[in-house]
Amino acid sequence: MSWFADLLGPFRGFAVTLRQVTRPRVTIKYPDEKRVKPDRFHGRHVLNRNLDGTEKCIGCELCAGVCPAKCIYVRGADNPPDNPVSEGERYGFVYEINMLRCIFCALCVEACPTEAITMTHLFEMSTTNRDDAIYTKDDLLVEPDGTPNHPQPDSKLIDLNELKIGDGWMRATSPSGRAAYAGVVQWTPSARTGALPAERGQSGQVNDEDSGEETDG
Amino acid sequence: MAEHGTVSIIINGVEHDVPEGERLITAAERVGEYIPRFCHHDKLAPVGKCRMCLVEVEGPRGSALTTSCTVPVTDGMVVHTETDVVKKAQEGILEFLLLNHPLDCSVCDKGGECPLQDQALAFGAGESRFIEEKRTFTKPIPVSELVLLDRERCVVCDRCVRVADDIAGDPLLEFIDRGSYVQINTFPNEPFSSYFSGNTVQVCPVGALTSVDYRFKARPWDLESVRSVSLVDSVQSSVDVHTSRGKILRVYGAENDAVNEGWLSDKDRFIFSAFRSPDRITTPLVRDGDGFKETSWSEAVELVAMRLGGHVGTEVGAIGGANGTNEEAFALAKFMRTVVGSPHIDAQLGDGLDPHLASSITARGTISDLDAASTILVWGPDLKETLPVLYLRVRKAVRNGAALVVVSPYSTGLDSIATHSLRYRAGSGPEILRKLAHGDAGYEAVTETLANGPVVALVGRSSITENPMLAEAVAAFARSLPHAKLLPLLTRANVFGALDMGLAPTLLPGRVSTGDAAGVSLLEDSWGPLPESAGKDTMAMLEALIDRDLVAVILAGADPIRDCPDPAVAESALDAAEFVVAFDAFMTDSTRKAHVVLPAALWGEVDGTVTNLEGRVQRLRRSVQPRGMSISVSAALDDIARAMGAELGAADWQLINKEIAAVAPAYAGMTADYLTFEAGEEGAVVPIPGATQPLGHIPVEVNVPVVTGRFTLHLAPALYDAGVLVRNSHMLEGFADPGVVRMHPRDAASLAVADGDLIDAEGVGLPVKIDPEVPERSVVITRNLDTTRGIAASADIRVETVRGEP
Repeated sequence: MSWFADLLGPFRGFAVTLRQVTRPRVTIKYPDEKRVKPDRFHGRHVLNRNLDGTEKCIGCELCAGVCPAKCIYVRGADNPPDNPVSEGERYGFVYEINMLRCIFCALCVEACPTEAITMTHLFEMSTTNRDDAIYTKDDLLVEPDGTPNHPQPDSKLIDLNELKIGDGWMRATSPSGRAAYAGVVQWTPSARTGALPAERGQSGQVNDEDSGEETDG
Repeated sequence: MAEHGTVSIIINGVEHDVPEGERLITAAERVGEYIPRFCHHDKLAPVGKCRMCLVEVEGPRGSALTTSCTVPVTDGMVVHTETDVVKKAQEGILEFLLLNHPLDCSVCDKGGECPLQDQALAFGAGESRFIEEKRTFTKPIPVSELVLLDRERCVVCDRCVRVADDIAGDPLLEFIDRGSYVQINTFPNEPFSSYFSGNTVQVCPVGALTSVDYRFKARPWDLESVRSVSLVDSVQSSVDVHTSRGKILRVYGAENDAVNEGWLSDKDRFIFSAFRSPDRITTPLVRDGDGFKETSWSEAVELVAMRLGGHVGTEVGAIGGANGTNEEAFALAKFMRTVVGSPHIDAQLGDGLDPHLASSITARGTISDLDAASTILVWGPDLKETLPVLYLRVRKAVRNGAALVVVSPYSTGLDSIATHSLRYRAGSGPEILRKLAHGDAGYEAVTETLANGPVVALVGRSSITENPMLAEAVAAFARSLPHAKLLPLLTRANVFGALDMGLAPTLLPGRVSTGDAAGVSLLEDSWGPLPESAGKDTMAMLEALIDRDLVAVILAGADPIRDCPDPAVAESALDAAEFVVAFDAFMTDSTRKAHVVLPAALWGEVDGTVTNLEGRVQRLRRSVQPRGMSISVSAALDDIARAMGAELGAADWQLINKEIAAVAPAYAGMTADYLTFEAGEEGAVVPIPGATQPLGHIPVEVNVPVVTGRFTLHLAPALYDAGVLVRNSHMLEGFADPGVVRMHPRDAASLAVADGDLIDAEGVGLPVKIDPEVPERSVVITRNLDTTRGIAASADIRVETVRGEP
């Protein structure tokens, strides 16, 4: 009866299609709709500021040193004491990321001792020119009020609000060097971009009273 | 130091044979057991300050913790470096060191190459129990114009203090305060103005001492390191040149025990800032009326070839070549002798010695001979001012017990440690030499010291005003001393290499005299016929230019108007010349008179070999690209030769290097490959085994006339003068002395002048400085300053009070 089975073949194939009709659709209408990204999504970097408006980046080049794609170029310079750019003795005088080379691994974020560089949820960065893919400090640094910059305008494709969503990230070691936390890996699920409070000092106390950050531990 | 036998010690249960008397930490490292340390430094005396090197040593009363940097090894010593006790000690020490050490590694210049970071990671506990606030200081404070100090980072290891006190002899750094407030600092109102201040930055195991120039410029992982040679003076210290993105960012001393033992002078260390000076010549320039206009290399080469080719060979002279590599010098020598056909070549500017004496003296010593010397005789320029790294080596020898005799017309940096310091009136050197040689009354003690061999004699011209033949006579005297070794002293960077390459009127490449018929014919076999007569030296060339016997001159990095003894002669000679072509990196008084100026690459920008004052050849490696359109002198000469229809074979330094090894007898076999694969990083002294040196100059006693005049002049050399690199280096410019006339109080009285009064010295007005160190009827003026460079370098000087002074 093989001729009969051959006759049924097309119907059996349609059964797969018909079964899917009743199920919810996977495809979304990007860019009209956008998928909710996971908390730890690695999108474009931003350079953050302190609450007082100074830059968090101290030009230490740890991000450039750790970068496996060698896409970050940083040069430090002496911080003018009368009009400080950063909180440290030096600041990031040049800060460039070549987004064509970047593999979005977030090792730079992990290496950064001041939380100056963090990643956001924006990934739409296509350009028509290779040079435009090199993000300079002007593009990366957020405004003193925490508004991020982007070389391209807000559009249907590029939702600049995504730049305000920080990725959650892992901290390799416990904060503040406290013995009680030796070996404990800490997970920071909060969005951390824009103007950020200072990190806690070694004593575990809040360094910046105005930030209202609670001491933990 | 005398050779010791070996002793047997047991480290962590393994028996090792190590040299007797060695410090335990060094012995352990030699056999592969690294003991952490901060204060210990191979070249510094042990102090046992940081306590990081604690190890367990078994003794009659059980094992005890001992600082391994202070304990010499003894036979049968049983040492444990990895026990729990040692570990606990190391962790405790690190916890204490970090008690007050700020965690600003990400800002600190040392971060990434910091022994404290590395050892905290390797030997520390990882966590600290201390939560108290750390001490803070105002930071950074400048301890000198070159070095900054961040006191809170200091771990009190004493290295910088020991470098300043013991090595440099400038005890200007000290610990002040006590307990946790102890800090390193200078004395009030007394900056750390040492010629060797940069060494403290290099030895500091933390980021407490940093260089003003390098501060925040880069991080260690940005840097590429190139082992090279500092072409600042003829000691040619080994250096590591650290570059990033095509720029030299800093220069560190490299360990080369045969030469500089890791130390550098600040001039070696910071002169590189001249390389990036905005005043560098970056394109070929051709005279256009009173000024210059930029041109292309091909046009400039055409022009030079046409103008040089238009003259009979012997009407052309070449001056200079002592600032580049051996390869550049060889190319110039070959270009002059074969392509142009002129014997008039001189790398010295009338400020040096007889080329035979300098390049081929018999019984020539090495720098490390100083370590084994019982007596050292220094009769030449002030070492501290001219060859500072050699000064350190002499200091070290004296610290280790050698007797030192210094003979000079003025006080020198070595006087304070000299056994005998003889002072003579400038120009009367021959007199004191005669007295010394005859052991005259009053000189018995000196003669007795000099009779104690082995003697190493450093012989040169104390200043440009001194008769160059005096050095010959001194060398002849020194040679008669027991087991004498001689080191001729010339100061210009690669002048010994230039002389060895035949950049002298009486020398051919490879230490062959032009009078040596066999040597000449051997060279003619590969080079073709050579010019017959011996050449003119620089002063004779300049005179000949004025007399129109010479019509064209090549200046290879030379500035005769500044450097030759008579600036006026040099100036009118260059004015009289029909054609002057200058290879230089900067505009100088002389290049301004040139018709064509070709941009020359400086020593960080070329590859090659160089020869230092002991005849040691080292590899000079390129670390950055030449600035602008600069190229090496040899490559430019190769192009010019081709445009003149000749083949120089100097397009590539390696070609020249091979040719040197083939045609220069004393350099036979001295190829770049030999240096890289056989000699190692120390370099090798020529002639190497298998090569022979045709010329062996035996110094002869010559009768040198004593200068008699009302006043005689000593033009004292200074480390920081108005030399072309110093004045173009933003780090070092401004360190030069303002320029004074130093004279004895009695002479000042006879001229009725007081301190600060203006005086007329040979037509140049300078303030007087009364200085009892100056012998009577003699004046001392610092050479080559902006204020003093017009003074002709003759031993006889006219000094007059300025009349009608307000």
